[in-house]
Amino acid sequence: MYKIIEKERLNPTVTKMVIEAPFVAKKAEPGQFIIYRTHEDSERVPLTIADADREAGTVTIIYQIVGGSTMELDQMEAGQSICDFVGPLGVATHTEGLKKVAVVGGGVGCAIALPVTKKLFRQGAEVHAIVGFRNKDLVILEDEFKANSTKMVMMTDDGSYGEKGLVTAALERLIQEGNQYDEVIAIGPLVMMKFVCAVTKKYGIKTVVSMNPIMIDGTGMCGGCRLTVGGETKFACVDGPDFDGHLVDFDEAMKRGAMYRDFEQHAREAGCNLLNKEVK
Amino acid sequence: MAVTRNMDPKKCPMPSQDPNVRNKNFNEVALGYTYEMAINEAKRCLNCPKKPCRSACPVQIDIPAFISCVANEDLEGAYKVLSASSALPAVCGRVCPQETQCEGKCVRGIKGEPVGIGRLERFVADWHREHVTETPAAPAPNGHKVAVIGAGPSGLTAAGDLAKLGYKVTIFEALHLAGGVLVYGIPEFRLPKSIVQKEIDGLKAMGVDIECNMVIGKVLTIDELFEMGYEAVYVASGAGLPRFMGIPGESLKGVYSANEYLTRINLMKAYKDGSKTPIKHSRKVAVVGGGNVAMDAARSAKRLGAEEVYIVYRRGMEELPARKEEVEHAEEEGIIFKTLTNPVEVLGDENGEVCGMKCVEMELGEPDASGRRRPIVKEGSEFVLDVDTMIMSIGTSPNPLIRSTTPGLETNKHGCIVTNGDDGLTSREGVYAGGDAVTGAATVILAMGAGKHAAKAIDEYIKSKNA
Repeated sequence: MYKIIEKERLNPTVTKMVIEAPFVAKKAEPGQFIIYRTHEDSERVPLTIADADREAGTVTIIYQIVGGSTMELDQMEAGQSICDFVGPLGVATHTEGLKKVAVVGGGVGCAIALPVTKKLFRQGAEVHAIVGFRNKDLVILEDEFKANSTKMVMMTDDGSYGEKGLVTAALERLIQEGNQYDEVIAIGPLVMMKFVCAVTKKYGIKTVVSMNPIMIDGTGMCGGCRLTVGGETKFACVDGPDFDGHLVDFDEAMKRGAMYRDFEQHAREAGCNLLNKEVK
Repeated sequence: MAVTRNMDPKKCPMPSQDPNVRNKNFNEVALGYTYEMAINEAKRCLNCPKKPCRSACPVQIDIPAFISCVANEDLEGAYKVLSASSALPAVCGRVCPQETQCEGKCVRGIKGEPVGIGRLERFVADWHREHVTETPAAPAPNGHKVAVIGAGPSGLTAAGDLAKLGYKVTIFEALHLAGGVLVYGIPEFRLPKSIVQKEIDGLKAMGVDIECNMVIGKVLTIDELFEMGYEAVYVASGAGLPRFMGIPGESLKGVYSANEYLTRINLMKAYKDGSKTPIKHSRKVAVVGGGNVAMDAARSAKRLGAEEVYIVYRRGMEELPARKEEVEHAEEEGIIFKTLTNPVEVLGDENGEVCGMKCVEMELGEPDASGRRRPIVKEGSEFVLDVDTMIMSIGTSPNPLIRSTTPGLETNKHGCIVTNGDDGLTSREGVYAGGDAVTGAATVILAMGAGKHAAKAIDEYIKSKNA
């Protein structure tokens, strides 16, 4: 069992949890992920690691409630324990030798973009963080990004906070202003990463994306997390989750990601009904 | 006590669920011999002095000895003989390919059917589980620690043998549950999970520790295990990632690897009402491949309610690598065999869902390097099979996690760990390996045999080092 040390709601649908998992904490690096199960009968769910404290032996995860399984996790409170927490899985994000990087985060993807931003900033790189949210109420981790970047650009779709517009517009403007990036790291919804890649391809800037496909074991056994990258079948769990964004077949990944949408919708509604009953 | 030999040329048939009932449920297909059936079948054994059956058993069970105990109605004695050689008799009795091992060498098979060795093994193990409650005492510790990576059949066997010798064994398992392919791969209707659990509980009673959620290569490396005081490591991490054919359409929704399909159903219990793990409830399914895993996937799809399930295999019925019994069971349950057929493209609709599979017919040519006749495409034979799900079951390629984090561990061009002959020693001192991680996807019993050999070699290694 893995104890929840801390729980904090970051916005109406995004929660941060600090979990006691000393073995995972000892090895976790930015870009890697864990798989958790809340209860004995729960699904295995992959989540990218948001932070790790080697001394305290804790790992931080930040998740958005999207279906039955994240809803189930969200019902747990600090002091309680979850059934399984395995990791660190996947290959850590490569940061060696990078001098100037733009990190683009979208929505809850910002939670995953933060650790690599921190790592790059601490190793002395010039880091431009471009973070985007739908509106002001959904903004998370603003102070953390400010403290760990040379420049931070806040974007909202509706203009209720920061600048109005998409992260791609901000990125393109920075490139046109003459910023020469060694690499762009994009982490967020598939559609956002796809369009970031479309921009950077135009300017010939290497772009790394973090893929989060459907996954079961996460250790290189089931093959559910396969993607087409540069025309080859790759597995996000052992080959990724980071890939060269210019080679990823995003359209296919989006279709595969929607495979169980009906099931998730159903689970979410069933979960809500259950909650409603409890409230009554 | 002398017994009257039973000279019936046929082996006693296995009582089973009716095919048209069982293809709608996940309960065990074979129901097991009754006491009388077992005693009668045991009396068919000639107790040959040369024991050809024993030499064909990968774990060298003294088969005539256990069977003569059964004939004498000494079932606990029979169990003792079995458990001296096998850590998992209730499992082996159910999933071993007996026809190519013990039963394939049985003298009774020359003029009739061989003795039902597998069925008797299962009967004895089940009898023991249902009637004997005392657990074996943990052996006296010898003060040495061994790490085993992977709680599948090979790792469990090695752990059991080492524990019997007094070693403190810790098994590191990547998944949340021990058992490996016995729990994520082989379906409930062929191997009930409660039986696997019981065998694992037996190992724990002998003092074996099982640490789940530990992915070696990620959370700890093999070198770190040595630093933690383990004197030897046995790598039994399994077969690895599924292979795909590389044909167009393999990423469409509704294309599964057999590993994913079976893991959802078995490990994650997607077949149960109210399971939180989604699975596609298909109408028409094509399973590509002809091994035991393909049979398991096809029979599972049928049980989930598919109207038509095909096995699509590029060679003929004779060449199917699956156990004969699995093929027969699949046929009885209404699985349709499209042999000498090979897919060339998966077809998708506008939503990216599978809506068909383009295939070609094959014919068999001259034998290839493997000695099997090579399938050749028949010109102009292209046709479309109407399916909404495709399950790929054409083998695996090794998992990279251990080889990429263990300096000096030699692997072959396929990525399998290279070992020195039978004892499982790798290119690293103190590191042994066996099972699918070495051989590529094979059978439960071969993995168990490798675990047995490695346990013996590890014992000799640690003794010689401390001599």
